[in-house]
This record gives sequence, structure tokens and C-alpha cells, in this order.
Amino acid sequence: MQKERSFFKEIEEITEYDGSALDLLRPRLLLAAGIIIVFAALVFCRLWFLQISNNEEFLSKAYNNRVRVRELAAPRGHILDRNGVSLVTNRPSFNVLLVREDSGNEPSLMKRLAKVFDIDVARLWERIREAEHIPLHIPIQLQEDINWETLAYLENHKHEFPGIRIEVTPRRVYHYGDLAAHLIGYLGTISKRELMGSVEGEYSGRDKIGKMGLEKLRERDLRGEKGTSFAEVNARGFQQQLLKRVDPLPGRELHLTLDVKMQQVAEEIMNSEDKSGAVVALDVNTGRVLTLVSTPPIRLEEFIGGISQKNWDTYLNNIKKPLINKAVQGVYPPGSTYKMITALAGLEEGVIDLESVYYCPGYHAFGNRIYRCWKWSGHGAVNLTRAIAESCDVYFYQVGQLVGVDTLAEYAKKLGLGVKTGLEIEHEKAGLVPTKKWKRDRHNIKWQEGETLSIAIGQGYNLVTPLQITVMTAMLANGGKKYRPQIVEKVVNPNGEIVERFEPELIEELTGMDQHIRLIQEGMYEVVQGKRGTARIAKIEGLDIAGKTGTAQVVRLAQYKHLKEEDIPYKYRDHAWFTCYAPADKPEIAVTVLVEHGLHGSSGASPIAKAVLETYFADRLIAPEVAENKE
Amino acid sequence: MIRIDRRLITHFDWTLLLLILLICGMALLNLYSASYPPKAWGMPPYLKQSYLFLMGFTAILFIISFDYNELIFWNYPFYVTIIGLLVFAFFMGQSAGGAQRWIDLGFFRLQPSEPAKLMLVITLSSYYARKEVINGYSLKQLLAPIVLTTIPFLLILMQPDLGTALMLAIIFISMTVFVKLRLSTYLTLGGAALFAVVFAWYKLLKPYQKQRVQTFLNPENDPMGHGYQIMQSKIAVGSGGKFGKGYLEGTQGHLHFLPERHTDFAFSVWCEEWGFFGSMFFLGIYFFMLLWGLRVAMHAKDRFGMLLAYGVTMLIFWQAIINILMVLGFLPVVGIPLPLVSYGGSSLLTTLLALGILMNVRMRRFQPGKGEEVDTD
Repeated sequence: MQKERSFFKEIEEITEYDGSALDLLRPRLLLAAGIIIVFAALVFCRLWFLQISNNEEFLSKAYNNRVRVRELAAPRGHILDRNGVSLVTNRPSFNVLLVREDSGNEPSLMKRLAKVFDIDVARLWERIREAEHIPLHIPIQLQEDINWETLAYLENHKHEFPGIRIEVTPRRVYHYGDLAAHLIGYLGTISKRELMGSVEGEYSGRDKIGKMGLEKLRERDLRGEKGTSFAEVNARGFQQQLLKRVDPLPGRELHLTLDVKMQQVAEEIMNSEDKSGAVVALDVNTGRVLTLVSTPPIRLEEFIGGISQKNWDTYLNNIKKPLINKAVQGVYPPGSTYKMITALAGLEEGVIDLESVYYCPGYHAFGNRIYRCWKWSGHGAVNLTRAIAESCDVYFYQVGQLVGVDTLAEYAKKLGLGVKTGLEIEHEKAGLVPTKKWKRDRHNIKWQEGETLSIAIGQGYNLVTPLQITVMTAMLANGGKKYRPQIVEKVVNPNGEIVERFEPELIEELTGMDQHIRLIQEGMYEVVQGKRGTARIAKIEGLDIAGKTGTAQVVRLAQYKHLKEEDIPYKYRDHAWFTCYAPADKPEIAVTVLVEHGLHGSSGASPIAKAVLETYFADRLIAPEVAENKE
Repeated sequence: MIRIDRRLITHFDWTLLLLILLICGMALLNLYSASYPPKAWGMPPYLKQSYLFLMGFTAILFIISFDYNELIFWNYPFYVTIIGLLVFAFFMGQSAGGAQRWIDLGFFRLQPSEPAKLMLVITLSSYYARKEVINGYSLKQLLAPIVLTTIPFLLILMQPDLGTALMLAIIFISMTVFVKLRLSTYLTLGGAALFAVVFAWYKLLKPYQKQRVQTFLNPENDPMGHGYQIMQSKIAVGSGGKFGKGYLEGTQGHLHFLPERHTDFAFSVWCEEWGFFGSMFFLGIYFFMLLWGLRVAMHAKDRFGMLLAYGVTMLIFWQAIINILMVLGFLPVVGIPLPLVSYGGSSLLTTLLALGILMNVRMRRFQPGKGEEVDTD
């Protein structure tokens, strides 16, 4: 003790035991006890506040912390043809997702991921930037449809990639490539506007939705219902256990009326000959669409997951306009296919009958103008059958002149022109059937009688779609019944229940015209089967076909008039039409072919229709031979 | 032949021992859950902590075997040793979280700032016991305690460990205020303290320390950083509800949402799994132990004993209340453990030694020379 005392010089004597001094301090101990009790009370209140009063709020926060609710994508409904052949199905696609809330050091993570994906890291950052407005706990997609190698690597090293998750979603498989691409359409990531417009909870940010064609129109049937899984995760986002799972409900199967073989044949010929145009085949007695081709095709694979700007520009700049579905969106002058309308109008209005004969010197003078027949040497004396069979313009100039443009328009509309056919497809065009009133309203110019002559042979202001011409042909074939063209045969639930079945839909029926229609049918029969018919090359052994060729003028520029056809620039060449039905005596199918800038209906278009018919009648065409051989 | 006063045995503080054992039992139970599931390698924390408890109780046995008044003599060697260790830790120690805090002793890593707290209690008790001033201490008389506190305070602050340094300051204030100061001393010291705080904020505090305070004041600004820890702790406690989620069933703790769940946030684990009533039971015992400590001070036979008992109790109290208020979201994350409950050898051994001193004071509360003496072998 001595030492210390010398160290602290001013230290006073330690009191041995001073009861009074200790008693002075004792109340201070009580004060300290008071402080402890006050703090204890504070802790008590705080615990009450957290655990009793606000328990529910914190319980839900704890739940949200640990439970990740995930959507399980529903396999999209398959698309099949009329014979049950699969056109479009699904395969699993492995996508890499990032939950930013769970990912640690993002720059290093992104760098490593970019290496794994073998892409530029900037692309990953772009994905993250795009999702800036999305809450952190919602996963964002970094990479879609990774290959097996990448998948295996990520699975084996998943602890090196916190916040990264693999998701399996169904991805479309196109078994026939781009077959019927315009009709089937494609899927794309849902847009903000589509998301806003949907029912709450139906879609979420990364969902695929039909963007075009049946994928879009039949979205309700094809999408199915999403499932949900509730999984417990730890703070780093790794799954600990599965709590609950509601399986997704697959989408409905969409059976089309389409015939894969016919569609294939038509597309192959059109594509192999590099033809731009459309092929349509309808069941004349029901309105079923058997074939609907538009070329050049779009490449569906390029559209999955969003088309690149470069590809899009290529499509836009292609003069053959692949993005347009020419069967329903392409409008062309009907050319000589219109002559059936002129004929029907003439017959019905009593202007002509089967006996009426006009003389064709190769031209027709009207007013102060000369209107040429396509055959400059002239057809001589022609009756209705010959006029159709040989497509004599002069005959129809005169019929048209007699009935007038407004009456022609009336019959054109009766036969389905100028109105949409009602096929389940987007952006169908109605075409144009000109009348005097139309011209006055549209151009504020009086109708010139000479223009009626052009209309009567299908040129001028007339505009039709290949589908409309097919509907017209089908009506002429079936005696005047106008069916709405339909593409869906049936819709089947995953449990096999048929929720929608094809039902023919009669829109309109021309009554009392049977006699006159039969006369027109005879003319159309001669077009293919007759000795001087314009489409003799479409003749098929063992099958009677009735049809009509057509050439739609694109321009009437004098400078090209006398050029050889091959020398006319592509975009100024005439369009080639051919429309037909078969068998001629008991019609089943109507086929129309339009080849843009294909020059002549007979050579440019009819061989394609022939190939489609051969495919349709393949069984019956071989059968007689077999029967003969047996004999 | 050692002569042991029989009163040492009759006066042995069985209540305090029981309280300590209860708390330690709950702490081990909690630690098992907080480090569950056990890692594949290394000794699980609850087992390591059990050994440390045994070590600690051995130390208690040692410390109660001699009169606490001996500490007045041992105080300075003890003080010098601790300062030496702090200096050593500062220059040669191991760093954790950017701070030089540890000295590796092989079997466990010593954090000298922990025993420094107890050392300060003993030093101040010893000084104030020897220098008794009835009318209150003058500033001049406080010079020595201030210097004795400032040396370890600065050493710990420079590690940097703001929480523990502040703890030393709080101990100093608690004990100095207790022994009565003159009014002028209060005013001067209060003014100086205010100045020091302002000066520290602008000149001394490291950015991360400032951020902690700011985060505490406005946790929503930083939901993923320090605010995250407090938020997760509140969620853990709050989601416990009345009866808790059940032992080993706490989701916040076991799924790692809770940070530092076996050290600073151990109480959070307890609250989540045992609920409001479980927390009340634990706190009831804990606060009862603290009040018991003050009772020991109340009945101490001399000034040194009273100061020791009071100082030791306040040392445990302040750490506990700061830790609990932090866990409950009332204070910023300062890295102060909950004595006896948070995992960590230095803190545990220090606390048990402190409680040993408390027992020592309790055992020797009788007046010297007035009891019987017994011979034993």
C-alpha cells in the first residue's frame, strides 16, 4: 500500500469502515435500481409493441422473407392439322433468372455469368437496366434457352452464383418449320400495354403471349393456366424446401382445318419457284380452309423472343413484302376472274342468255376510245360459254356496258367481293368494289362510262383478296351458298373434352340463280377441260376441274406495252390469277392461286392449283388405276 | 493449512449462482439454435461456449477464494497488463471487420477490450474507495480517474471499436456520478463532454461509424445495409408473437436473414423462437440478477465492496440494455454483446469474472473479526 500512497500523493486515508459514508451512497443504489427498472419497463413495452401489437405485420414480413412464390409456366396448347398431325408443340427451354434481392456482388457475378454464356457483359447489364422499375425480389431473365453444357455448369456451381435461378419454360417447336407461318403466328414477350390490359394475375412481366396469327387470336385457348410453387429460401435465395405446389394446367389443343400435305405442296412450289403470292383452298360445302399460303414466308424462329432490328429491316425492305399475309391482306385487281360476276349480272338482269352472241374483232370501240381484247386477232363470234372459256374481253365489255357499273357492283358484293369474308384472322382486307357513288365520294369525279368496261373485265378500281376470290368460286361451285371461311376444326381440353367444334356457317344464299350459275359453271368447265380453254395445262387425268384464269394489270404504261414480258421490270409485270373448283360435277374444293407479277394465269398460277388438287385427290386419283390393273 | 471463515460458506450467494446458471442454461440452449444446423467442420459454438462456461466457473471459484480487498493491491498490475494487451492487440493483433481487436491465444482469441471494461470498474472502484470525499469530488480530484479511463478508451477507439470505447465512457460516468461530484465539476465535465461529442462527430468518427448512427436515425434510407440488420432483427422479434415459433423453428435465424445471430443478435433468436412470454421469462431473470447485484452493493461491508458490486452490476446492465435496445431497433448497431448470452469467449469470461467479484463481495459482507473462524485442512 505504501507505494500507491506515494504515487497518489494527495490520497486521503482510507476509512476503515464508515457506516455513515456508506449510508450516504445507499439511496444512490436505489436510484440505480430505479434506472434499471425504467429500462426494463421500456424493453417490456417495446416487446409488447413488436410481438403483440404488430405481430401480424412482422409475421407477414418474415413470411415474405422466406417464401418465394413462383409461377410455373403452363405448356402452351399444341396446334394440329385436320388429320391430327402436330404442327406446333413445345419443348423445355432453360432460362437463367436473376433475383437481384438475393444476388451479392453484382459486377463480379455479371462478369462470371457473361463468361459462362459467352456473351458481352454489357448485354446482361442491359437486361438489368431494363428491369429498373421492377421490384428487387421479382426475378428478371438474363438469358433464354441455354444449352445443356451451360445448364450443367450452372447447376454444378450454383453456390458460386447467388441469386441465379434456372427456370424451365415450354418453348415452341415448329415441326414443319415456317409452314403456314402467317396463319399460326408467333409468340413474344408481353408488352407493357398488353400487361396493363390483361386481367390481374393472369400474366406477369416475362410471359410470352401470342403476337400474331392464331397464337394471338387463340391466346385464351392456348395459354392454359399457370401453376404456382411456394418454396422456402434462405437469405441468399437458395431453395430450402418446397412448401406447396399447384401444377399448371396445359393449354388447349387447337385442331385446324388445314391440311398439312396440301399446305406443304403449295408452299414448296411457290417457294421453289421464288414466287410471291397466295394460295387458298376451301371446302366449298362447309367453308373449311384447307390451305392458306402466303409467300415469301416469315421465319418464325427469327421472331421468337423478339425479332432483331436487322431482321426486321430485311423484312420491311423486301419488295416481295413477306410480312403481309397476301391471302387476306393482299388486294389485287381480280382480272378475268371477275368475268363470272359480269356474266351472272348479265344473265340475271336479262341482258344476255346462253344464245347471245357477240362478235369479237379483237377490240371494242366505245366513245372515242378503242378497248382491246387480250387476243388482238379477235375471237370472232362468241357465246357465253366460249367467252368464259377463252376469256373474251370484248364479250364482257358489252355485257358490262349494258348492265352498268352499279349493277356489277351489286353482283360482286353478292358473290363476296368488297366485304371481309370473316375468316378468323387479323387485318383482313375488304378490297374494293367501285360504284358511281363511291367514285363521287372518294374522288369527287363523275363516273366515266368507259371505266365500266374496265370494271367488267376485272381491271380498274376493282380490288380483291385471294380469299375473296376463293369464296366466290366456292359459291359458284356450290350453287350460291356463302359460307364463312373457318380455320379451326376443334378445340380440345387437356382432359380430352371438346370445347369447340367446327360448325359450317352459312352467311348468305343466292336463291333462284341456279340455272344461271350452272351456265357459268359450264363456261368454267370449258376453261380447263375444253379444247380452247385458257387453263388446259391444269387438266388432271381422272378429275374434272372447272376454273378461270385471270391477269391483273399492274400498270398500263405505254412504254412497257410492247416489250417482251421478260423485259418488263418485275414490279410492273401483271399479276397472275387462277381460281377453280373440283370435281366439276360434284364440287368439293375450291382453289385459288395468285402469283404477284406472275404474268399469266394459265402458265403462272394454274400449275400450282393443279398440284394442290392432285394432293387433295391423291387417294381417288390412284384408285381407278389400281382398279383397272386388277381387271 | 488454510483457515476459512465458516461465514464464507453460510454467506455464499446461492441465489446469484442459481440465476447465473439459469441464464447460462438458456444462453447455451439459444446458442445451439442460433448455430443450427451444425457446420460439418470445427467445434460447434454451443460446445465451445460450454467449455468457456466451465472455465469461467473455475475462475469464479478462484476469485472468491480470496478477499476482494486484495484487488486494491492487484489493481495496478492488472491495469498495466490490460493496457499492454491493448497496445499489443493494436499493433500485432488480428483484424476482424477492419478493426485490430484480437490476440490469438491458440485455444481462443482474446479480445483485450472485454477485460478492459472490468479492469476499469476495479480501477475506478479502487481509486474512489481509497479517496473518499464526503462533499463531492472536485475536478482536480477527478484528474487521475479521467486519465486512467482515457488511456484504454483511446486505445480501443483507435482499433476502432466505437461501441466498446463508449462502454468505457459509460462505466466511467456511472461510477463517477455515483460517488458524488461537486456541482461545478458536473457543469465543467458536462460542457467538456458536449464539446467532445461535437468534436468527435466532425473529426474523429470513421465514415462507417457515422453511417451507423445515421442509419439508425433513418433506417429506411438504407434498407440493404445497416438498416437491413435492424429491420431483420425487428422482423425476427415481432414475428415471434406471444409464444414464439418454437425452439429451432425460427425462420429468420435459421434461414440467415438475421445477421450475427449467435453473437450480437442472439437475443433476437430467443425472441423469435420463444415469443413474448419466453422473452419476458428471460428478461425477468436477467433483470432480477441485475437488481440482485445492486442488493449486493447495498449490503456490502465497505466502500470498495459497494463500488465493486455497483460497478460490476452497471457494467453488465449497460451492455445488456444497449444490446437489447439495439436488437429491438431502438439503438444503432454498435457491436456490444449481451453478457452471458452472446457467443464470444472474452466477453463471457469477463462477465463471469465480474459476477465472481459480485459473489465475493456478497460472501464477505459480514464485519471483519466478528464471525467465527474455523480450521480446515
